[in-house]
Amino acid sequence: MRGRDFSGKISDSLYLPVTLIAAIAMVIPVYILFKVSVSAPGEILTAHPSFLIKDFTLEHWVKVLKSGNLKAPFVKSFTVATLTTVAAVLIASPAAYVIARMPRKIKYPLVLSLFLTRMFPEVGIALPISVQFIKMNLIDTYTGLVLAHLILNLPFAAWILVGTFETIPKDLEEAAMVDGAGKIESLIKVITPLALPGIAVAAIFVWLNSWNEFTYALYLTVSQRTLPLQTYYYVVRGGWFDAATYATILTIPVMVVTFFLQRYMKGGYLSGAVKG
Amino acid sequence: MKRNLFKAVCLALVAILFLASLTGCGSTGTTDSSDKKEADPRKGVLKVAMGLGEEEWKVMKENVFPEFEKKYGVKVEPIQMEAGDTVKKLEAMHQAGQMDIDLITQDNMQLAQLVDKGLVEDLTSYKDMIPDAVIPSLIPVGEFNGKLYFMPYRPNVEIAFYNEKKFNEYGLKPPTNWDELLQVAKTFKEKEGIGKVVVKMNLGPDSTCHMFDFIRSAGGDPTVLNDEGSIRAFTFLKEIYPYLSPESKKADWNTPNQYLATESAYLVQNWPFTSVVVVKDGGKKEIKAYHGWAGPVKESHVLGGEVIGIPKGAPNKEMAVKFMEFLMSKEVQEILTSKLGWPSMRTDAYGKVEEWQKPYFEAVSEALKHAEPRPNLTYWADVDKAINGALREIVLEGKEVKPTLDKYHEMIEKAKQAAGGK
Repeated sequence: MRGRDFSGKISDSLYLPVTLIAAIAMVIPVYILFKVSVSAPGEILTAHPSFLIKDFTLEHWVKVLKSGNLKAPFVKSFTVATLTTVAAVLIASPAAYVIARMPRKIKYPLVLSLFLTRMFPEVGIALPISVQFIKMNLIDTYTGLVLAHLILNLPFAAWILVGTFETIPKDLEEAAMVDGAGKIESLIKVITPLALPGIAVAAIFVWLNSWNEFTYALYLTVSQRTLPLQTYYYVVRGGWFDAATYATILTIPVMVVTFFLQRYMKGGYLSGAVKG
Repeated sequence: MKRNLFKAVCLALVAILFLASLTGCGSTGTTDSSDKKEADPRKGVLKVAMGLGEEEWKVMKENVFPEFEKKYGVKVEPIQMEAGDTVKKLEAMHQAGQMDIDLITQDNMQLAQLVDKGLVEDLTSYKDMIPDAVIPSLIPVGEFNGKLYFMPYRPNVEIAFYNEKKFNEYGLKPPTNWDELLQVAKTFKEKEGIGKVVVKMNLGPDSTCHMFDFIRSAGGDPTVLNDEGSIRAFTFLKEIYPYLSPESKKADWNTPNQYLATESAYLVQNWPFTSVVVVKDGGKKEIKAYHGWAGPVKESHVLGGEVIGIPKGAPNKEMAVKFMEFLMSKEVQEILTSKLGWPSMRTDAYGKVEEWQKPYFEAVSEALKHAEPRPNLTYWADVDKAINGALREIVLEGKEVKPTLDKYHEMIEKAKQAAGGK
């Protein structure tokens, strides 16, 4: 009991500093990105750049916003990421539900087989897949990119959701059916709301992966670039300030989408669900 | 129960509609390639892929393309494609049997793969199209095994960038030969405690390029590697290495911009675009340039730049050939020189560059006088490996010069024999 008190005290006292350090470590690179995007060149291009913003300028942002090169890549990336997420959740949820309810002996080989496509390095399979997509006239199309991103994300989404559905007791479904609900109704009205946190996690994961995806976008894009490709363009061209501005813009929707979806991620949602 | 079934059917319908809309929302309509050919959606459109900066595209779109479009009644569709991505993209389209690009301009350091993989057309029959006024050394750059695959377009060469303020501070002058280079490197190391001269030693294509310059300027042949000139070059590199900047090991074609901008290097040879990134956009006006230094035998710089190619299976090959000729014309070459400060491939094309760009343009023009093309060898990858292997062992690891070069000479000879001496 004493040992538990001691470890409890340690975890209580370390909780805040560790959280703070982790948060700072994650925020600093984003801050530096932002700082470069709003600093005058003279402040950045020195041997010892300052940590704080001293010579603030919106020059780089104005240039990027006025260039006319932002809207199309932004819209393409956003649309593709959103469609990929919706498709992944719609396809993976029922599949994961069925897998979760299977006997253990079948379930695990099935989950493992989901990752078969992820066993090969992306650069290795990107070319043959892209060749097939080009044959199907899917180059430079939203459809092509969504389908390519589904190859990457469906196994992970299904895996996350299998874990989610496994935690929901089967008794809940049975109780709903005793109360007169059909199989589909109990799935929609009872199981899905309880699975929302897991679905939100899967959705965030898929959305972020698709939003940042580069390899397939590179192969399947000729003229309509995505935002990561646009950022890559400036990085390759050596345009530090444009690259930093685009990279900062790249992070904004990530924060918005994550903030929006994290509302559904609540702990303890099953406590007291089934009484003995 | 009926209500539930209805809901389930509705849900399934929504899912099906969504997936159907996904497959239909592409920007290209047909799925049958034969239909595509019949409808010929590309008629009147010439897709041109180049790797350019925003300013460069602006000049192309405003000053170069319109004239051609007016003359031939076609629309030139510009496509941004970085040199490093060209092989990947063309390979995917080629394998799919759906080439979507009509013409490319490509970095002449990255041509071998395009030829090896059969991704570009043989242009030998169009050789007469090359203007008489072309700089002669540009033609062999596009030749492989006696066939012409690429047309000359834009010559380029590395020049030496230096921080004038720091050179003045220590009373130094930009080095013009190896002795002075060594002295400058030693002075910076002594004054600042860390090397400030960068020689590219990243053990990749960039360091190969610098090794070519050193070996050739000592009278050696990099494809032989154990001749007298090569021995002198590697002996000198071993001597200067302790005084070089630690950034040398990471220096590629892009990082020197950062080194100059953040003053972790005061002297480095790099491609002329550094002047745009560091001086024009970055405002580091103290970064000046000159043509570079000579070795004990001569001054030598690897001839870089871009060439024109036509992808195999290009839908509008005939029009691409006309555009290729147009890009080599005196009129276009003068526009590129005046508006972008690109040195011309023609000896009869002159242009007035912008005031800020003049010193850098002059440095490039001077360096081009000492430019030599890199040989197009089928066993190039082995030469590249051998040069970087020798660099690693001799300079970075401190091994003996002659035995190490002999070892790598053997490696090149074996590759040469395996390739039938071509």
